[in-house]
Amino acid sequence: MIAAKPILEAQGLTKHFRTGGAVSQRVVKALQDASFQLYPGKVTALVGESGSGKSTTARLLARLYEPTAGQIIYAGRDTVEDKGRSKLLKYRSEVQMIFQDPFSSLNPVHSISYHLKRPLQIHRKAQGRQMTEKVHDLLHTVALTPPADYTPKYPHQLSGGQRQRVAIARALAVEPKVILADEPISMLDVSIRMGILNLMAKLRDEQNLAFLYVTHDLASARYFADETMVMYAGHIVESGGSEELTQDPQHPYTQLLLSAVPDPARGLRTQETEIAGEVPSLSEVGEGCPFAARCPHVMSRCREAMPPVTRLSETRWVRCYLFDEA
Amino acid sequence: MTQPMPTFDQARTDAEPLLSVRDLVVEYHTQRGLVRAADHVSFDLHRNEVFGLAGESGCGKSTVAHAITRILKPPAHIAGGQVLFDEVDVLKLNDDQLRDIRWRRISIVFQSAMNALSPVLTVGTQIADALQAHENGTAQMTRRQVLDRARELLDLVGIDPDRVNSYPHQLSGGMRQRVVIAIALALNPELIVMDEPTTALDVVVQKQIMDQIRELRNQFGFSILFISHDLSLMVEFSDRVGIMYAGELVEVAPSQAIFNDPQHPYTVRLMNSFPTLSGPRVELFGIPGSPPDLITPPPGCRFHPRCDVALAGRCQTERPGLQPIGARHMAACHLLDDKIVNKEDAS
Ligand SMILES: Nc1ncnc2c1ncn2[C@@H]1O[C@H](COP(=O)(O)OP(=O)(O)OP(=O)(O)O)[C@@H](O)[C@H]1O
Ligand SMILES: Nc1ncnc2c1ncn2[C@@H]1O[C@H](COP(=O)(O)OP(=O)(O)OP(=O)(O)O)[C@@H](O)[C@H]1O
Ligand SMILES: [Mg+2]
Ligand SMILES: [Mg+2]
Repeated sequence: MIAAKPILEAQGLTKHFRTGGAVSQRVVKALQDASFQLYPGKVTALVGESGSGKSTTARLLARLYEPTAGQIIYAGRDTVEDKGRSKLLKYRSEVQMIFQDPFSSLNPVHSISYHLKRPLQIHRKAQGRQMTEKVHDLLHTVALTPPADYTPKYPHQLSGGQRQRVAIARALAVEPKVILADEPISMLDVSIRMGILNLMAKLRDEQNLAFLYVTHDLASARYFADETMVMYAGHIVESGGSEELTQDPQHPYTQLLLSAVPDPARGLRTQETEIAGEVPSLSEVGEGCPFAARCPHVMSRCREAMPPVTRLSETRWVRCYLFDEA
Repeated sequence: MTQPMPTFDQARTDAEPLLSVRDLVVEYHTQRGLVRAADHVSFDLHRNEVFGLAGESGCGKSTVAHAITRILKPPAHIAGGQVLFDEVDVLKLNDDQLRDIRWRRISIVFQSAMNALSPVLTVGTQIADALQAHENGTAQMTRRQVLDRARELLDLVGIDPDRVNSYPHQLSGGMRQRVVIAIALALNPELIVMDEPTTALDVVVQKQIMDQIRELRNQFGFSILFISHDLSLMVEFSDRVGIMYAGELVEVAPSQAIFNDPQHPYTVRLMNSFPTLSGPRVELFGIPGSPPDLITPPPGCRFHPRCDVALAGRCQTERPGLQPIGARHMAACHLLDDKIVNKEDAS
């Protein structure tokens, strides 16, 4: 099914944050040993509960954080050692990030036109009269038409959905290959969310963009993403086609998470699932599977070491000893 | 121009509703002008019922909840209507009378409540204080009895009673929200108003808490006015749902009908605006445009500028009122005129 080469790949990607003072230093293991690929023309969702490490993963890929370990392979080449300004600038123009809050990601004192011209200048994508043309093209692409109505406006004159469209247009300005979208619709009203997801789906198809879609909303991952990865306490525990994964979850945590999502289409009221315990603190997760303490199927080895990746099919894998033959 | 609201019993029950909101109008006096955030809102809530209020951000859900519990502060002003609780108009009560019913008969859980707990007092003390402040002399409890009751309440909401001695920062967000629910339950109220009780929490924790609330309701039989912008949760948890748009209630129906057979064009589009985890995967479109500025709402039906079936003329000028259109089903839309049934058939 996946024929193309990945455009962006994480290999054993790890991020530990050191927090607290000299006496009470703690290590927050926000991301541990994550390996996955993003493909042109595909949306990969990263889902999980608050604090599980989703934004950290996106920020690592955007090179906003230095990884503690692991590789970030872009177009076949590890980029982690690329530290010079010009190399980073080039990388960041090809791998763009869209943030959750369209209110704070735009500058209130600048017009929409300014927001879109700026990246064109910095990355030398257009100049002179071409510039205005390009800005209008971008606004067309994100369906803010007629463009001339929007260019002189300021962020506060736009609705939340329109602002997010401007943020998407700005990301597109530099002709990226990859878009890392961190909860791009979660602050928007229900009635305008689908407009943004449909727009991104169109960009995926028409511009062959690779998307990482960070969300805590599994139903939207099912709707929008081709592949979905599930995170728990800093680990990616399961990955697969979104439809397969949401309809037939394998990892006990994915099963728990899905059973907790309210779902009016399921018909009658949901069964009451027994849910014990809480997500562990990321500075206290030990060597084993982070879900062991809550898992109904826990075995002794689960507490000793993180299970390896078990491939269930070409596109599906899980990290759980229930599936480990060895 | 406003239409008279029908006042028939929406829930086809012989008993009087516990709460009957009639033509409630709430305004905010702002520098930019007058915001009418609740405009002739009418609905009934029955004993042992969960009634949900849903709608987009800013449509007036919290405003209605705050008016019912009389906790609106300036610049808010109740400009009209009645809130009949057990046949008494809450809007007419003086401070003493209000203190009598608040917490003892009607209590409230806010979205941000878990952050409103005092950081310097143990949760046990906070529950005990709530009990003593409102117990009102009926059954003078000793401090010992009060603390016992606090332990009992923690147990009820699924927290280890030994946690009475914990401070809020020692508890997770989900546990703090449970403490807030324990306080709301403390005096056995008949109605609990829950404004986004789980919005700040993760789905797994949300599920734990909603299951717990459902269980407590089965046990104690209180009613809930439930507010959420999560439509999936709303439909799953409520018995009936009212959909608000720009300060008005546009449709009221049993929750399954709201989801499977919505009638108002806004509800229809809204139910087609969010994906679900199961069922067929269909293309979803959302609704073009955005809700109006409440200082200058459009004339006629407030939804008409975003409505793809609006009639030129009538929908632009004449404001539709909430009309019965089937069993326990009401909607405010001119296009549904031929579905209007008379009260007797509806009830
Ligand atoms: N800059 C930082 N310094 C220290 N700790 C951090 C930093 N950024 C994130 N963390 C910690 O790393 C963990 C993962 O955070 P992250 O923001 O990646 O989670 P998330 O899955 O995006 O959560 P949410 O759904 O709430 O956005 C958390 O415990 C967080 O407190
Ligand atoms: N204190 C206030 N002063 C002025 N206007 C206000 C005030 N509180 C609310 N409003 C306005 O009243 C309208 C309704 O607000 P309300 O908080 O009731 O909406 P809501 O449906 O609860 O929204 P949300 O889903 O965002 O909580 C909004 O347009 C809001 O801007
Ligand atoms: Mg995040
Ligand atoms: Mg509100």
